[in-house]
Amino acid sequence: MKAKFAKFKEWLLLPGGFGIFTGLLMLGTMILLGIIIPNFGPYKPDEFIGDPFLPPSWQHPFGLDQLGRDVMTRTFSSVGIDLGVAFLGVSIPLAIGTVIGILLGLAKNKYVLSLAGSLIDGINAFPLLIIAVAMLTFLGSGLRSVVVILAITNWARYARISRTRAVVVSKQNYIEAAKTLGFSRRRIVLKHIAPNVSSETVAYALSDFILVIVVVSGLSFLGLAAKPPMAEWGSMIADGRAYLAQSWWLVIFPGLALCWSAVSLSFVVEGISRRDRGI
Amino acid sequence: MVISFAIMRIIPGDPASARLGGVEEEAIAELRKQLNLDGSIVQQFSRYVIDLLHGNLGTSLQTGRTVIDIIGSTLPLTIYLILFSTFFAVILSIPIGTSIAWSGKAPIVYTFRGITAVILATPNFFIAMVGILIFTVRVNWSPVFGYEPEFPQNLKYLWLPVVVNTLIMTSVVSRVIFSSVVETKEEEFVETGIIRGVGRRRFFWFYILKPSMAPTVVLLSYMMGTMLGATVILETIFTLPGIGREMVNAVLTSDYPVVQGILLIFGVITVFLSFIGDVIAYLLDRRVKI
Repeated sequence: MKAKFAKFKEWLLLPGGFGIFTGLLMLGTMILLGIIIPNFGPYKPDEFIGDPFLPPSWQHPFGLDQLGRDVMTRTFSSVGIDLGVAFLGVSIPLAIGTVIGILLGLAKNKYVLSLAGSLIDGINAFPLLIIAVAMLTFLGSGLRSVVVILAITNWARYARISRTRAVVVSKQNYIEAAKTLGFSRRRIVLKHIAPNVSSETVAYALSDFILVIVVVSGLSFLGLAAKPPMAEWGSMIADGRAYLAQSWWLVIFPGLALCWSAVSLSFVVEGISRRDRGI
Repeated sequence: MVISFAIMRIIPGDPASARLGGVEEEAIAELRKQLNLDGSIVQQFSRYVIDLLHGNLGTSLQTGRTVIDIIGSTLPLTIYLILFSTFFAVILSIPIGTSIAWSGKAPIVYTFRGITAVILATPNFFIAMVGILIFTVRVNWSPVFGYEPEFPQNLKYLWLPVVVNTLIMTSVVSRVIFSSVVETKEEEFVETGIIRGVGRRRFFWFYILKPSMAPTVVLLSYMMGTMLGATVILETIFTLPGIGREMVNAVLTSDYPVVQGILLIFGVITVFLSFIGDVIAYLLDRRVKI
């Protein structure tokens, strides 16, 4: 036990260790509260329990909202929705983009390459939020469309990274060595190129997670993703906006939860990038 | 070289917006046959391109105004918003970034990185809400809703969105300046400059700042594009009649031609900005490859 602790301490003192630790601790707390409070708490997220606009008190630490619902329960019940949607919105494009990028990195056909290249550049030319807002016009608003949109647009960023990386990796000596050893093409791509490319795209995915959380809640804030009865940080903030002058707790607590999650992730990202660079 | 670059960069941007247009019209054709949107996608696409070349972006389904007219009346406000915040962000970031990088003291650097990380991870609508809560609800410095287009009055409505935007941009830009100054510090010509005894002012401007500015300019041009996305939310919060709010309204009322037109303009602006950014970066630091 003691040896383990010493090892942990050593790990913590390496560059970025403290950031990763704090970030994971903050994120873990958030997820834990997101599981405990909606499931084992005294109230339900859409239960009417008391006077509207009841200020924060010991019984209701985050107060009650305009319909007399418990803000704390609602705030924490959206942890699963927000982080879940963001997780899907990062992992699907990550998988698609990495695969497409590797294929493009190995492709030889000039027409395919220039077509795919301009498609990727074209998608990347627009800010994610703008492209998402525009595409919601013809997919119809809702959380499911948001995930679909993220899947069909966000892959381009991953594809760009993984393509560049695949080109670099495929020129390395160990790939030459594998070819000389007579390994099959499939084995080289799956066992030698893919792991080296995906380490790069996964690192980007972590920082993209923050962006996607902000985009998802931003779309909900605009009334384009999560619909009103559903508890979601962005839409809670949008609902509370009308009552900001009298009841600040409707906006501040969901916002703080959102910040907390995003900041915890950014600590992890920063920690990992500092560890990689060794400073 | 520059010209070939310009062609390379501008071409991918436009088919992309056109492509989105094509998909969008396909959806309309399914939903609204009465809008005279029949024929194959190729036909629609060619018609769209021909209309575009004639400067015709269609008319709004909601109000009947032409899309060009809507863009013309809403775009300037958004551009002012972005330009003002970029200007202030640059003015603030240069001293913050360089002085922190130059001092290099660990506690200062950690505080700087921590604060900027928190600001960057916070969604702009939450920062805006806190701003409204402080400056409108607690002290009545800024009106909540509305806008007056005349010059002296409009500052009353614009200053808070600009401050929010500036805050976010400053934290991005000062971070980049910080890290590129840290890199520049290690360069040999900086040491040479110190040994040669270059005057303090000249040393700062030409040896430290100029080489460090190239990545900053590239980032700025990219950030200004991203700011278009951010203003969509900011204009909705502050109810400013800019192009972002127009777009949200158009999406909420399913006004396809308006969304399509605004998207096209955004694409053109973003590509244009990144082109300008790359050219300026090249002029500042000839080692940058275009």
